[in-house]
Amino acid sequence: MTHDFDAIVVGSGITGGWAAKELTEAGLKVLMIERGRQIEHQSGYTREMAAPWELPFRGRGDQSNYDRAFPVQRLNRHFNEWTQDHFVNDRENPYSTADGTQFDWFRSYQLGGRSLTWGRQCYRWSDYDFGANKRDGHGTDWPIRYADLAPWYDHVERFIGVSGAAEGLAQLPDGQFQPPMAMNAVEVALRKHIGTHWPERVVTIGRTANLTEAKPDEGRANCQYRSICARGCSFGAYFSTQSSTLPAAMKTGRLTVLTDKVVERIDYDPVTRRVTGVRWVDTKTKQAGQATARMVFLNAGAFNSVHVLLNSASEAMPNGLANSSGVLGTHIMDHPNTVAAAATMPGFEQHTMVGNRPTGVVIPRFRNMDKLDGIGHTRGFSYQGGALQSNWTRGQRQPGLGADNKNAIRSPGEWRMVLVVFADSMPRASNRLTLDRRRTDANGLPLLNIAFAHGKEEHAALAEAHALAVEMLESAGGKVLFGSDQPGHGGTAIHEMGGARMGHDPATSVLNKWSQAHDVRNLFVTDGAQMSSSASQNPSLTYMALTARAVDHAVALARQNSL
Amino acid sequence: MSRILSAGEANRRDFLSGAALLALALGLPAGALAATPAIPAASPRQHQMLAAASQIAIPRTDTPGAADAGVPDFVVLALDHGLEDARRPVTNAPKGMPLRADGSIDHLRWLELALDTAAGGDFLALAAPRQAEALARIDTAAFAAPRDAPPSPWLTIKALIYIGYYTSEAGGSQELRYELVPGQFEPDAPLHPGDRAFSSDWTAIDFG
Repeated sequence: MTHDFDAIVVGSGITGGWAAKELTEAGLKVLMIERGRQIEHQSGYTREMAAPWELPFRGRGDQSNYDRAFPVQRLNRHFNEWTQDHFVNDRENPYSTADGTQFDWFRSYQLGGRSLTWGRQCYRWSDYDFGANKRDGHGTDWPIRYADLAPWYDHVERFIGVSGAAEGLAQLPDGQFQPPMAMNAVEVALRKHIGTHWPERVVTIGRTANLTEAKPDEGRANCQYRSICARGCSFGAYFSTQSSTLPAAMKTGRLTVLTDKVVERIDYDPVTRRVTGVRWVDTKTKQAGQATARMVFLNAGAFNSVHVLLNSASEAMPNGLANSSGVLGTHIMDHPNTVAAAATMPGFEQHTMVGNRPTGVVIPRFRNMDKLDGIGHTRGFSYQGGALQSNWTRGQRQPGLGADNKNAIRSPGEWRMVLVVFADSMPRASNRLTLDRRRTDANGLPLLNIAFAHGKEEHAALAEAHALAVEMLESAGGKVLFGSDQPGHGGTAIHEMGGARMGHDPATSVLNKWSQAHDVRNLFVTDGAQMSSSASQNPSLTYMALTARAVDHAVALARQNSL
Repeated sequence: MSRILSAGEANRRDFLSGAALLALALGLPAGALAATPAIPAASPRQHQMLAAASQIAIPRTDTPGAADAGVPDFVVLALDHGLEDARRPVTNAPKGMPLRADGSIDHLRWLELALDTAAGGDFLALAAPRQAEALARIDTAAFAAPRDAPPSPWLTIKALIYIGYYTSEAGGSQELRYELVPGQFEPDAPLHPGDRAFSSDWTAIDFG
């Protein structure tokens, strides 16, 4: 059989870009299909450089329109008048939820996907994470360990450019770092204080995919300390598909990109037990289209990759493609998160900072490592946050008028330290995705239905994290303003993952240790859907490493003619 | 094709407007970035009172005041489009609260009534110092109200005056400093009395 392409990559976000780069660089002819619109690097970032006074709503956006068209996306901290075109219109892209589920699904349907809007935090997982399911019996054991992924973490970090500080921590392995960004005076003092009182707790600078050293060979400048990354970065200083993987893949001359095409299903041939290609709907013309390939990489984003698999049910696979186990769609996760504590930090009134650092600080996990010492939970939580000085917005919240008041607000105000906690989300069969059997979207595809709830372990972890955050900040001289032990809605970490989990056993998992479907040898799912547990770290770096590793394996199999 | 931008090209010390910088960065002609929506109508008297209140809240010093910076037009637009939740229907409105047809507060009508009440007559007929005293009474009362009481509409109007001013060119780049492309990060710089904050410190504005 002849094929249109060697490989089809569904999706152009963080992992789709990586799959396309690695596959084309290995010599394969690749088709990348993106459901959203084209956004060109640089010229496509239309409001990147706009001053607030050049926008009708001064950056705040038209809230009446947001209420109508973006009721979910508007809840994203990075959603505003500059970035609104980098998020989906909720009204045009509906999903459904099970009774009792509140799930805020933040999405970016465009070339580059959420690589344009992501938080850029890059943390390796450790064997505390890959061993978690086996250790406490939740979920299914990961078929890989840190040693399997370490060289692929190296590979990815070198290419995307991750700035960070080596700390020698077992729970947060060091990587191939560019020079770290600096901590401000409050953070430096907090690191010292916490390190003195609790040596197992380390305050370190965020490890972020913003370049501190330019990569001129790749057309990427170093970070300009604007911290407006989600508008798009014409300097190419943060990693996105547009700034990094897409130019690399295009350079090979072997990549074809289609935009505005939503993949409806993947075709499966029960005779060869292989997938043969994909079918799509043009979102503008509603015309159907299709292409064939020797292999398919599914990188549509965790939930949408599951959607494609469920919607690709056939006579041979009535419960969904690659779903002989029946677990497809189950065990979805998203980190429970909340502001554990925010405090004013007196004593730094003579200090300020100049420039906007596009990362905060992190306190890596310190619970449930070599001994199980968490209260009511068996996994990890970590804090991300930082110290900042209040600005003019404080004037909105206090009495006062006139010139003296104006002059008082002119200078930076008090320092505040914020600690946001992210905890492990436990893999649960009841948290699952299904196809809505009643409702369809504008492309005629069934809506995705999300059933999700945090459980007692997540609540216990956040309760402990809240208490410890208050204790640490007060001990360091802070005056706590507020804090919480209640997680936000599901989805608010924007780390939704799982649904096509990896595992040893084809009877209880969808993918093998190569992110390859147990049931279908030439089908790979290398985005968040493959995750068997959540860890408490941001997951994107791990998705990228798993993608590069899966491509390497797929290419080797293809060369042996054993795909 | 993409090309690399360097700090030298977009040097922070060469002042460039956002549109000009965009044009430089992209090789495009500088043009309107977005059409300005029509400013909804307020009665001339309401507009005059909003202008007075804005300028009292943030007066002219060595930099322009709020009315000088065009804040009243922004506040009228912002109220109409629901910024600061201005168009949320209210269920616990005190008797006499002027409401729009959708059940949200008519802030401009409220301000007109509140200023006249605080003035004991025609607010606009008062001398400037008396106007400031009248608004100060409203401001003090709004922040002194018990937490379980319905919030004073002044809080929304004041918040929008602040947004309008500090995101205006005068407020953002003269009263405060605006640097779109800092180019570098100084983690620990000395802060002297009177140093101006950066209106482009986006994280502080989100969280501060």
